[in-house]
Amino acid sequence: MESSDEASSSSVTVNNADESSPWRHRGRERSSSADVIARVQRCPRRPIRSGSDSQEAGPSLRDDVCQTNSPSVKVKCWSASSNGVASCTEGSKVDCCGGGASDLPLDESTCSAPQCINPVTPPSDSDSDTQEGDDDAFNTVGELSPPPPRHRNTYESGRRQSAPGQLVQDHGGSESELQSRRPGLAEYFSRKQRSVPQSAPGWKLFGKVPPKQSPTKQAQIIQQVFSPTHHAAGQQSKRKVEFEPLSTTALILEDRPPNLPAKSAEEAQRHRQQYEQMVAAAKRRELKEAQRRRQQKEQRLRQEELLSNTSLVWNLHILPHWDLMRSSRRAQDLWWGGLPPSVRGRVWSLAVGNELNITAELYEIFLSRAKEKWRSLNETDGAAPAGLERITRDVSRTLPSLLVFHKGGPYHDLLQSILGAYTCYRPDVGYVQGMSSMAAMLILNMDEVEVFISFSNLINRPCQLAFYRVDHQLMLRYFGAYQVFFQETLPRLFLHFQFSGVTPDLYLMDWILSLYMKPLPLDVACRVWDVFFRDGEEFLFRAALGILRLYQDLLLHMDLLLLLTSSPELLLLTCAPSPHLLT
Amino acid sequence: MAYAYLFKYIIIGDTGVGKSCLLLQFTDKRFQPVHDLTIGVEFGARMITIDGKQIKLQIWDTAGQESFRSITRSYYRGAAGALLVYDITRRDTFNHLTTWLEDARQHSNSNMVIMLIGNKSDLESRREVKKEEGEAFAREHGLIFMETSAKTASNVEEAFINTAKEIYEKIQEGVFDINNEANGIKIGPQHPTTNSTLSGSQGGQHAGGGCC
Repeated sequence: MESSDEASSSSVTVNNADESSPWRHRGRERSSSADVIARVQRCPRRPIRSGSDSQEAGPSLRDDVCQTNSPSVKVKCWSASSNGVASCTEGSKVDCCGGGASDLPLDESTCSAPQCINPVTPPSDSDSDTQEGDDDAFNTVGELSPPPPRHRNTYESGRRQSAPGQLVQDHGGSESELQSRRPGLAEYFSRKQRSVPQSAPGWKLFGKVPPKQSPTKQAQIIQQVFSPTHHAAGQQSKRKVEFEPLSTTALILEDRPPNLPAKSAEEAQRHRQQYEQMVAAAKRRELKEAQRRRQQKEQRLRQEELLSNTSLVWNLHILPHWDLMRSSRRAQDLWWGGLPPSVRGRVWSLAVGNELNITAELYEIFLSRAKEKWRSLNETDGAAPAGLERITRDVSRTLPSLLVFHKGGPYHDLLQSILGAYTCYRPDVGYVQGMSSMAAMLILNMDEVEVFISFSNLINRPCQLAFYRVDHQLMLRYFGAYQVFFQETLPRLFLHFQFSGVTPDLYLMDWILSLYMKPLPLDVACRVWDVFFRDGEEFLFRAALGILRLYQDLLLHMDLLLLLTSSPELLLLTCAPSPHLLT
Repeated sequence: MAYAYLFKYIIIGDTGVGKSCLLLQFTDKRFQPVHDLTIGVEFGARMITIDGKQIKLQIWDTAGQESFRSITRSYYRGAAGALLVYDITRRDTFNHLTTWLEDARQHSNSNMVIMLIGNKSDLESRREVKKEEGEAFAREHGLIFMETSAKTASNVEEAFINTAKEIYEKIQEGVFDINNEANGIKIGPQHPTTNSTLSGSQGGQHAGGGCC
C-alpha cells in the first residue's frame, strides 16, 4: 500500500510538467514538488519535440519519455544540461543519470551521442522512443496496481534487478501485444531495450500511457492513481512529508540503463551512503517540524486553559467580592497579566465605577434629547449644537478597519447614541474627536447603558478631562511630568527628541486622547486599557515610555522627519510581534 | 536622500473637508474613503523637484475640530506654506475660512504662502460653493486658489507643488531669510560643511526604509 501510494505520488510529480495531463491538478497540491518540476523542465526537452514532429503520436509520447526520465534524474539533472549534451534524447537521459555521479559525464555523453544524433532518421528515432513509452506504460500499470504492491525505484527496486525474470513475466503479455502492432523497423531500433528488459523498471515508472495506444489502460491508471489519494485524503499532508524525500532522493540508488557502463561497487556504495544521509536528514527535519508543531499546539492549549482558569477565578472569587478583592495581590497579579475577554467589560466597568451616579433613566433622558436635536438639525439645517452634527460625521470613521461602526453597520447607531447623549449630558465638554474611538472600545466590551456610565465617568477623570477640554495649561503640566520621567528612563532618546524638536504634544495628544486606540492595534490597546484601569492615568504615560523604549534603537537612528512620519502603529506592525509589547 | 531645501507645510481647515486624504493622496498616491480621525497632528513627507532642485516637503496635517484650535495654533510657527482646505459640498466649511485665515495670519510668519483649496471637486452634483466664489475669496485675501479632488487625485500634485514653487520664488527674490528656521525653510544637508548631519540623516533614511 505504501509503495503504491508512493508511486502515484511520483507520477503526479512527473506529470505536473505536462499541461494536458489529467493528474496535473493533483500535482499542484504537492507544493514541494515545485523544485522537482523546475528541474524536470530544465531537463532538455526541445530536441525530443523537434524530432518527433513527423509522427502523429510523437509529441505526447516523447513528452512522456522526457518526463519519464526526468524524475529519475532530478537530483542531478542540471549537471547534465551543463555538460553540453542536452541536444540528444538518449544522450541527455544517460548523461543525467551518469553525470549524476559526477565521475563520468564526459565519456558518457560521447558514448551515447552516436545513438541519437540521427536527425536524418526521425521516424526510427521516434519509434525507439515509442517503444520506450510503451514500456513505460506497462511498468506504470504494473507498478501502480495495488495487488501485488510493488516498490518503486527505492532500495528494493534497485535490488530487484537481480531477479529480472519475474519482471519480464509480469510484462510479457503486454509486450507481445505491442510488438504485434509495431513496424519491423522499430523492432530493429528497439532491440537494445528488448535485450535487457530487466534493467528498465526503475527508469520507466513515471511514464503515462498515450491515450491513442492503450485507452483502457489509461483508465485503469487513472483509477488507480486517484483512488489511493481520495482514500488517503486525510493523511495526504502527512504522507507528503513522509514520502517526498524518498521520492526524490532514492533515485540515486538506481543502476544505470543497460547501454551504459554499470556503477562500480564504490560508486554504488557511495550512492547508498548519500541516500541514507539524505533520508536521515529529511527524517530529522520532519521530526523537528513535527516537534515544533506539537509545541505550538501545546502552548496554545496551555494558553487557552490558563485563560479559562483565569476567567474562572475572576468570576468565582474576584468579581463577587469586588470591593474586598480588587486590591488583593492575587487580583492585581492576574490583572497585570491581562484580563480574559469574557470578564473584561465587567472588570472595566467596576474599575471605572460610577462616581457620577448615572442611571439608565438618565441615559434615556439625554438620549431622547439628543435625538430630538438631531431631528431639528435635519429640519432647520444647522441650528443644533455643532457637536451633534460632527458626531454623525465622525461615527462612521471610527475604527474603519473593524467595519462595525460605518453607516449601516451593527454598532453605528449605538455609538452615535452614546456620543449624542454625552454631548447633551455634558455640554461643557461636548463632543471632542477621539471620544468616538474610546466609546467604540467600550461598546465592544459592554452593554449600552454600561457603556454610557463608564464613558461619562472615564472622561470625568482629571487627565481625560484636561485633554478633552484641551486645557492647555493642565496638559502642559502633564507633559512636563512626563518629560521628567522620559529623561530619567530613556536619557539618550530624550536628548535625541530634544535635539530633533519633537515635543510630547506631537505624539502624546493622539495617544492619550484616543487612549492608545489610534497608535496601537486593537488587541494591544485592550491590554493597555486593562492596566490603565488597574493603575490609573499614570499608566498612560508609562505605556508611552514603554513604546518609546521598545523602539528606542530604531528611533535613535531616525531624523525628525522620519520619526514623525512613521506612526507607531506601523512600527508595531512591521517590527515586532505586537502582543508582546506589555509582557 | 539629499535635498536642497526643506519646506514645512501645514494643512488646515474644518473637520471632514479631506485634509488627511489630500495628504495621503500626495504622499502615497492613494485614496482612503474612510479615513481615521486626525487627533492633534499627523505628518507626511515627500520629495519634489523644482527648478532642478530637490525639495523635501514636511507636511503637518492638523485636526480640524475647533477644540484643538488652541493646539494647532502652535503648529503654524515655522511653516513656510499652508494649505487652507474647504469642502465644495459644504458651505459652512467655506464660511469658516475667514476665521481660519485670521488664525493662520496671526500665528504664522507674514511671508507664509497660503494656498486655498476647494476639495471634493469630483462631487460636482453636490456642489454648494461655486468655483468663482473660491476664486473671489482667494483674490480678495491674496491667496493662490485651486479646486482639487483627493479621490481622483485631480490637482493634488499641483496644489502642493505650486505652493512650493511660490515659496521657492520668494526665496529667489530674497523675501525669505533661509537662515532663519522660523520661516519654515531649512537648507538641505548636502553641503560638505554639514557632513555630519548628512550621514545622520541618511542613516535615518535607511532605518526607515528597512522598517516600512
